[in-house]
Amino acid sequence: MATIEFPAEQRVDRLERQWQSKPGVLGWLTTTDHKRIGILYFWTTLVLFGIGGTEAMLMRTQLIEPNNHVLGPASYDRVFTLHGITMIFFFIIPMTTGAFGNYLVPLMIGARDMAFPRMNMLSYWVFLGSGIFLYLGLASGNGPNGAWFGFTPLTLRLFDPSRGADFYALALIFNGIASSLTSSNLIVTMFKLRAPGMSFNRLPTFCYAFLAAAFGLLFALPALSADCIYLFLDRNHGTHFFDPSKGGSNLLWQHLFWFFGHPEVYILIVPAFGIATAIIPAFTQRKIVAYPLVAIAELLVVFIGFGVWAHHMFVVGMPTISVVFFAAATAMVVIPSAIQVFSWCMSLITGMPRFRTPLLFIAGFIWMFVNGGLTGIMFVAVPFDQQVHDTYFVIAHFHYIIFGAAVFPIFGGMYYWFPKLTGKLYFERPGQICFWVIFAGTNLLFFPMYIVGLLGMPRQIYTYSSGMGWDAYNAAESAGAYLTALGIVLLFANLVVSYFKGEPAGPDPWNAPTLEWATSSPPPDFNFAVIPTVSSAYPNWDAEDRERDARKLADGVMVLEEGHEQPVSTTVDGRFAEVIEMPHSSPWPLVLGVCIALVFGALVIGHYGIAGIFGVLCLLSLFGWHWKEPQES
Amino acid sequence: MRRVAVMQWIGLFVAPLAWWGQHLVGQAIAQAQCSVADTTWHVSNRAWQIGLLVGAGLLILASEAAAVVAYRRTDEEDYESPPPVGRIQLISVAAMTTNLIFLVIVLLDGIASIVDTQCRQS
Amino acid sequence: MTDYAAPRTSRARTPVEVSRLAAQRLGLPAGWWGMLMLIASEGTLMGCFLATYWYLRIRAPHWPPDGIPEPRVVVPMTLAGVLLLTSVPMHLASRAVRAGRLAATRWFLLIALLVQTGYFAYEVDDFGNQLRSFQPARDAYASIYYTLLGADHGHVLIGMLLNVWLLLKLSTGLTMYRLNATVAIAWYWHFVNVLTVVVIGSLTSVHVV
Repeated sequence: MATIEFPAEQRVDRLERQWQSKPGVLGWLTTTDHKRIGILYFWTTLVLFGIGGTEAMLMRTQLIEPNNHVLGPASYDRVFTLHGITMIFFFIIPMTTGAFGNYLVPLMIGARDMAFPRMNMLSYWVFLGSGIFLYLGLASGNGPNGAWFGFTPLTLRLFDPSRGADFYALALIFNGIASSLTSSNLIVTMFKLRAPGMSFNRLPTFCYAFLAAAFGLLFALPALSADCIYLFLDRNHGTHFFDPSKGGSNLLWQHLFWFFGHPEVYILIVPAFGIATAIIPAFTQRKIVAYPLVAIAELLVVFIGFGVWAHHMFVVGMPTISVVFFAAATAMVVIPSAIQVFSWCMSLITGMPRFRTPLLFIAGFIWMFVNGGLTGIMFVAVPFDQQVHDTYFVIAHFHYIIFGAAVFPIFGGMYYWFPKLTGKLYFERPGQICFWVIFAGTNLLFFPMYIVGLLGMPRQIYTYSSGMGWDAYNAAESAGAYLTALGIVLLFANLVVSYFKGEPAGPDPWNAPTLEWATSSPPPDFNFAVIPTVSSAYPNWDAEDRERDARKLADGVMVLEEGHEQPVSTTVDGRFAEVIEMPHSSPWPLVLGVCIALVFGALVIGHYGIAGIFGVLCLLSLFGWHWKEPQES
Repeated sequence: MRRVAVMQWIGLFVAPLAWWGQHLVGQAIAQAQCSVADTTWHVSNRAWQIGLLVGAGLLILASEAAAVVAYRRTDEEDYESPPPVGRIQLISVAAMTTNLIFLVIVLLDGIASIVDTQCRQS
Repeated sequence: MTDYAAPRTSRARTPVEVSRLAAQRLGLPAGWWGMLMLIASEGTLMGCFLATYWYLRIRAPHWPPDGIPEPRVVVPMTLAGVLLLTSVPMHLASRAVRAGRLAATRWFLLIALLVQTGYFAYEVDDFGNQLRSFQPARDAYASIYYTLLGADHGHVLIGMLLNVWLLLKLSTGLTMYRLNATVAIAWYWHFVNVLTVVVIGSLTSVHVV
């Protein structure tokens, strides 16, 4: 390690002064630091995960035996609706893109922040506001009850006279704004803020995965917003988008919803693929096998995923000649996923795997994903799909995918990056134990659902009669749920204890290849004292480049300490283009976030004039936001 | 090198866009033929599907050819080399793979929608 | 070998400096990519509205339904064409600002804004007149007609507000931030203008298809 000369220390001091956040609560409320925003997302999504998990436990307790009375039918409907909405929109998406994406992407590309730091903070406030908005609906007796996919006519005024579906429609639009902002930010950050020298053939596969998810969100969310706008208008303003007697169509809801909904499920798992491809090289100490194919497979699976939406509608009576387009695309969408599975497996087999806790979660993820993916392929056969549609077979499939292929890597990622965020090592043996408990629990919870689905148990039913042959399977599933919950509690307990009692980790306990491990743990506010030299896709393994960085710090090259400075590179080849001044702490994201929340609050209670006034306040907030330019602050 | 770079982008983007066009227009035409509007418009589904299949197929083949050209012109380096050569290698390898996948999808649904043009429920 | 001598573009304070540094930098700045993201998102949203229009139309025995007058063609398409022409002054503003010609930039923006305001005022009045003739709650045709048209007008209004803000900013001088904003807003207008032609074209296509 190069010795830091006196001038270098001065440079680091200057950087610290330029980039430090304001102190105290005000600092957190006005921050634009991507790391702080990532941490805010992390804790908020964990709370919502707990709520969604509680909803799951209530359902499994209700279904543990036939004719149970823990939840009545109306309550059960609200619980499974909120469970689905919460887990998808308020846990997985914000945890992956908001927490992992925000914290790690700038570090991995050698940047000091995201491309639009204030917009980043705005996306957090909008996300938080949308979560509070949805649960205020529940608290006020207007919990949505039409399932997470809200099919009309069930969610129209005729069948849902409460404001439940209004909270549903508006909450999803509200939440969609946050995700659209985050996805735009991730794309532009990865295109423009990469360290000079990081061309597309040197971008970490983690970043390719998040790029794919961001593009997916950007193009999928508008379809959901359009659907929710129609739903709100039909329910409150007498329009007829979904009224067949007046020229509307209930299939319109389904087409638009699934045009969003299918890319959404790839958006859920692709960041997790990115986490897996970050962890595997670190714990096998080899480059990922077939890097070009893995990189393009991330993008391809989301792209083809935009063409398969009607495979969720094989039972609605569409003509065969229309259905074949979706069956063909669905059959082929498995290929990019298979490319990645082969790459992960070959990397494990040909590397020197150390099955520490993060890699155990990735191994478990591969098992769960292959399991769920194979059953997903079965749905390509339209006649088979028509038999198992709306049964527990479907629930088993998507929970193997979502829990296995999204949540397992999230847990693995928490352990993997725990040393980076906290500067401490976690306790290994408890970590491995909780993996096995969760693995056993989730398989016990979800595997019997395949069988009970094939035996005819429909989904979204609040109870069932005895004598259907479903009792033992449901009891086993509920036992699996409790075991999984125990494992998750142990997981977090281990992390909490490790935070207080863990050994110091140092900057790079894993000898990992990506740039976040080239800086201290936790990283300083400015991330890197020297913008890193990059000449491969595994920059932290390039010892020469890291030594060069230390010399550059002494010479003041690429330190960029004359302001709140960030280098910008060309999109494709990462050639150094310009140095820009980044915005610093600002109250405007919070102000605008509050105004947006007030707009939605007024809309849901039907006060459109007041909503208009708050809309004007939003415009004034934007005006105030852009009053001072970044170089002026 | 500039021409090779253009080949690389053609190789990467033309096939996905061709599939996307064939997919959107193809299933919309199929739905239109089986809808009320067909009594006015008299949609010739088979003609459209043949046209879309041939058009998309040719575009995808051209895209694949461009990707192969870009790959072979930069073959002296591998994808870990410095840009632009390394980057072109990476993108052309990726494109050569993805174009085949798109070709298969287009063939599958194009042939199926030509062979079976009945407006019956699936 | 990476060239470490890239310009600190935020420092430029005069139009000449801004123009010189903008010419030196490589590639598109982050702010322009941000506008592309907005265009992608809004374009997809409007695409969904358009897809809804056509989806409902292929299912309808009569379109528009009996009792609703067919939309006029000449006036709406002419006005859409006039709006499309405002892409010319917006493009010229974008070129002028990159050349450091601040006064010319302001004039081009002002010309564009005046035409856009005239267009918008007429359309608001026309929208109100149509509402007197048939309401969105009448049937699905009316519902999608007003949603699609209203959304398009909404995008025009946002563009006008952006132009007003930009003129206010440019009234006190030129910085790289304002140059980036000018070009980004010009792209927004190109998007809105093409969108308007497509929307009006779809709504009036009942006469040809």
